[in-house]
Amino acid sequence: MPTEPTTTATRTIRVENLARVEGEGALDLTISDGRIVSAALNIFEPARLFEALLRGRGYMETPDIVARICGICPIAYQMSAVHAIENAFGVTVGGQLRALRRLIYCGEWIESHALHIVMLHAPDFLGYPDAIAMARDHGDKVRSGLALKKTGNEILRFLGGREIHPVNVRPGGFYRVPRRTEFAPLVENLKDARDKAIDLVRWVATFPFPDLERDYEFVALHHGDEYPINEGRVVSSRGIDLDIADYETVFEERQVAHSTALHSLIKERGAYLCGPLARYALNFDRLPAAVQSLAAEAGLGAVCRNPFRSIIVRAIETVYACEEALRLIAGYGPPEAASVPIEPRAAAGFGCTEAPRGICWHRYTFDGDGTIKAARIVPPTAQNQPSIEADLVAVATPLTAQSDDVIRARCEQGIRNYDPCISCSTHFLKLTVHRT
Amino acid sequence: MRETPAQVLVIGLGNPDRGDDGVGPLVANQLTGLLPADVEVISAHGDALSLISRSVGCDAVIYIDAAAPLTAPGRIHRVDLATSELPKDLAPASSHAFGLTEAIDLARALQQAPRDIIVYAIEGASFAGGAPMTAEVVAAAAEVAGRVAEEVERLRRVPGKSVVNA
Repeated sequence: MPTEPTTTATRTIRVENLARVEGEGALDLTISDGRIVSAALNIFEPARLFEALLRGRGYMETPDIVARICGICPIAYQMSAVHAIENAFGVTVGGQLRALRRLIYCGEWIESHALHIVMLHAPDFLGYPDAIAMARDHGDKVRSGLALKKTGNEILRFLGGREIHPVNVRPGGFYRVPRRTEFAPLVENLKDARDKAIDLVRWVATFPFPDLERDYEFVALHHGDEYPINEGRVVSSRGIDLDIADYETVFEERQVAHSTALHSLIKERGAYLCGPLARYALNFDRLPAAVQSLAAEAGLGAVCRNPFRSIIVRAIETVYACEEALRLIAGYGPPEAASVPIEPRAAAGFGCTEAPRGICWHRYTFDGDGTIKAARIVPPTAQNQPSIEADLVAVATPLTAQSDDVIRARCEQGIRNYDPCISCSTHFLKLTVHRT
Repeated sequence: MRETPAQVLVIGLGNPDRGDDGVGPLVANQLTGLLPADVEVISAHGDALSLISRSVGCDAVIYIDAAAPLTAPGRIHRVDLATSELPKDLAPASSHAFGLTEAIDLARALQQAPRDIIVYAIEGASFAGGAPMTAEVVAAAAEVAGRVAEEVERLRRVPGKSVVNA
């Protein structure tokens, strides 16, 4: 039964358990005299202590340990880790091994984005409680979403050995690389997936979007000649331009009482946004012309500041990931070896890659035999928490005269704009509105 | 023209490294060699959505999964979804958005669900990482393997969707 606004001065709206996000958390919203005074994400998943359990483990174990941080985006953690290890030991992985790493990451973008767009986020815009109810009226779109997800998973299985927590990624490259002929079934599925992704862009572009523009500082990787996935400098829309090794000079993590996940901030300015909107805004010119045209057809400019339209940007990135995967496969020839030699040394190394939800930054310090002395992992959802809270204030402000149920629904939709992975960030959701 | 036997898929769900959660894969292992060659037996855990595509085209699917503790470890619940729903308190918990219940509901909404869906849910006691399986659950696995073998025979006698010209 809908809850009507109370006549008392204080309203407390609490979302006790946020659905359609990965992991568990809650939201407390406090409204005083018709004004939003606070929006707090309460992340109560227990700390998982990955950084501590990595200490004392060998560098070769690292990709398999960090993959367990997430079942949706294990490649992000594996790729940031292997790049950090190689950075520490002075090794560069190029050529076809680099291309295969980009290809497996495309698979992760496709499966993660397709899951979020169709199964988790689209029901919000079309007024359904979940994807199952939506499937009764939009079965073709749900089938497309599942097919896209399956194709992304196939890439992970093909190159990684399995879909969840792949086992074929190692420092220096892979344990095994495929023969050219093995790609044939994947190519056919990817061509079909690309068509489905284009259809998905056109579908989500028709959704009704709340009118909201936010003045984000976008943060993403930026690379000389490609849309960033595995490599690049950390740049922002307000002038940050850093080598990834210097990340900690500008960004910091702070503990907050209401969350087991650390909040990331730009030391001098505060909240920032990473993820699809940031990646797109800072790298639009790196997208192929056909993808840029599709974005224009879907009503997007070179920059999008409406967080609700992130669903279109995710769909655009899904098209790009399919195109890029096909391009990489077309140019593939097996490398001479599945990995390049790697020798440990006492050193520190840094890795930063573009997880589906945003930059995933890793730092490791190694002993001379490659044993990890210290590890630091900054996942994208943790970085976006302050922006999520600021978004919620902006989203709820025009709605304070509405019922708690209306506010609750729109706030949950606003949180899902981020495709938050609470488990990764330990790191999410319930909504409580306090009105005074 | 003759009728083909119904195509039956058996899926053992669970993580063998999480104590009693591994009972589904254990039953799947125990069915090796017990079923006709055209009956596929797989172990799966993680992404329940992928189960939808795995069962497309099948006439029947049998799921074996661990259940949350309700009454006693090793207690076996058989649910025929043609006649009843999967009780919510038996539905295995998932930290991700889609569990077995949602996957089955979604397959039905998409009209991609097999004609027959049978779920064997075995109550567990310990789901800790690396924990051994409870003795009662191990014993239940052997009983469920036998019952699934009989169930497969029964389901195969129901004519399949496809027919072959003799």
